[in-house]
Amino acid sequence: MSTLEIKDLHVSVTDDENGEGQEILKGVNLTMSTNEIHAIMGPNGTGKSTLSQAIMGNSAYKVTQGDILLDGKSILELPVDERARLGLFLAMQYPAEIPGVTNVEFMRAAINSRREKDDQIPVMDFIKKLESKQDILDMTDEMSERYLNEGFSGGEKKRNEILQLLMIEPKFAILDEIDSGLDIDALKVVSRGVNSMRGDNFGSLIITHYQRLLNYIVPDQVHVMMDGRIVKSGGPDLAKKLEDEGYAGLRDDLHLDVKLTDEI
Amino acid sequence: MRANLIDKYKDDVTSFSQSKGEPDWYQKVRLDSLEKAEELSLPKYEKINYRSWRLDRPGSIESADTSEFNRKPQAENYIYQVGDKTISTNLEDELSKKGVILTDIFSAMKDYPELMQKYFMTKVTKTTDNKLTALNAAFLNSGVFLYVPKGVRITKSIQAMFVQDNSIDCDFVHHVLIVADADTEVTYLENLVSEGSGYKNKANVVVEVIAADNSRVHFSALDQLSKDTTTYLNRRGITGNNARLDWAIGFMNDGNVIGDFGTDLLGEGSHTEAKVVAITTGEQVQGIDTKVTNYGKHTIGHILQHGVILQKSTLTFNGVGHIVKGARGSDAQQESRVLMLSRKARGDANPILLIDENDVTAGHAASVGRVNEDQMYYLMSRGIDEKTAQRLVIRGFLSSVISEIPEKDVRASLTQMIERKLVYGQQ
Repeated sequence: MSTLEIKDLHVSVTDDENGEGQEILKGVNLTMSTNEIHAIMGPNGTGKSTLSQAIMGNSAYKVTQGDILLDGKSILELPVDERARLGLFLAMQYPAEIPGVTNVEFMRAAINSRREKDDQIPVMDFIKKLESKQDILDMTDEMSERYLNEGFSGGEKKRNEILQLLMIEPKFAILDEIDSGLDIDALKVVSRGVNSMRGDNFGSLIITHYQRLLNYIVPDQVHVMMDGRIVKSGGPDLAKKLEDEGYAGLRDDLHLDVKLTDEI
Repeated sequence: MRANLIDKYKDDVTSFSQSKGEPDWYQKVRLDSLEKAEELSLPKYEKINYRSWRLDRPGSIESADTSEFNRKPQAENYIYQVGDKTISTNLEDELSKKGVILTDIFSAMKDYPELMQKYFMTKVTKTTDNKLTALNAAFLNSGVFLYVPKGVRITKSIQAMFVQDNSIDCDFVHHVLIVADADTEVTYLENLVSEGSGYKNKANVVVEVIAADNSRVHFSALDQLSKDTTTYLNRRGITGNNARLDWAIGFMNDGNVIGDFGTDLLGEGSHTEAKVVAITTGEQVQGIDTKVTNYGKHTIGHILQHGVILQKSTLTFNGVGHIVKGARGSDAQQESRVLMLSRKARGDANPILLIDENDVTAGHAASVGRVNEDQMYYLMSRGIDEKTAQRLVIRGFLSSVISEIPEKDVRASLTQMIERKLVYGQQ
């Protein structure tokens, strides 16, 4: 079993216009283990994506206080690729497009980066694995032969993120709004992919606006974030309650003094 | 005072010509060129200074026996040369029967004097163009002639492997003449590679391509000359009416090289796509001047150059699009992009548009930049280390030319070459 701990995490980003740091996360605490699915919900502009980028190690997000621990060891000083090799994965909201590099080639490079130089994955093993994962996601060889995300529709990109997740088999996967822009059928397919990973060696942190996704990937815990902090945690029922009452309702229940970005 | 070229080299050139059993007409071309070379100047290219390379000082023309190298192309139609020796050549019977000629340049002078006298340095590049083209004719010691007679369409590619040998003290003065007559189609691929070590040599390479009316010529080149070879590489072509001449050049040399590429679009409705990728490493300097001139009406000339600069090297791309008066309805577009991977590297992308006609379309894009951070982050977030990620992003950046190469195994070998050069450059 592995654990991922977020302790009193404060994160700033630099404002493009005035060059000043702006604090987005203001003390996030969260502990999760493999074999658990956690969902983070919250209104726009509340720091959900910042949390995911900070865990992965995007250099644009600066940790000013607190720590992130994987199996008890701080990963704050590690670059992105080392965090990934230790078992972290981030399914991105806006994956980059890379022409000239095929999906297949990319996934092999990713898998091989976790193996010794003299023990690279045999081509046949790779192809078999790829085919079985593509089947789960209703994907074709044609898509895997294409250049990485180039010319992919929004839905195809999301599906491709999940394909990489299934191929790489990380310990912890953070899914950043994997449901945005997906129709109901695609949502089911993507959920099927994530659910196929569930087990003793896999944990996931699902970031979403909507409760809908959580009907398909049922979480063990739901956390609500507002203004850079987790303000409430609970079971799957919490998500349903939010769907009924909205974030403003929860805020008022908790007597929080937070302005929601989309509030009129 | 330095002796005149003619006084100094006349005997060498004459005796080399005799040793190859050349016809009198070519011996005369050599001596005339030698004489003219004295007066001609080095070609000038914007922002590329190569005077100190001494490309105008000939070295040894005659080679000792070259070493054995195992570089024979894996293709049905091919020619394989090491230094001035032709090791083997093959052409499908069917093509020979149709009159296709693929032979070394010395045999061509003897066996096909009319064709050679008609086309050799008369239509595309002239001996009088500059000092280096004159020296190419005078000191010529290897080369190939490819002729595709009217109406013949060749489906399989024709591949050439040219080995420049640095285990001996000898300049590599090479000439390729490709004549695709009217209504023909041909795909030609050449590999220019250095082998051996011990000597520093010069290479002077001129390639002429004549794409006659309604022909389609696809020319690919993978260049891998070593750091011990200083090179002038001139590849130019002309087009007849409605002809199409495309270039895909992989500039993967390790030494100092001047590349002078391009097409004169003479015939109405003719079209050229000139694509070049280059990587520079170490302290080498590569300058590439790609020029397309639209003479004919309704001609299309596109230039695309992508380059990557590592370590302390220098890469300069000039893109010259020239539309002459009268070339109505023509189009000249170009894109030159350079990625700098080191603060000590130097790079330049100069777009030059010369438009002397009103009724035309033209455009250019040029940039010098760094590796895309979003792409790097994405790749690394999957566990790929920084250097590997960088190579993948660069490969993507160069893919516009890689994908142009028609043969799968040649594409793979270009990809390998890129990988090799990048790994070296990342050290």
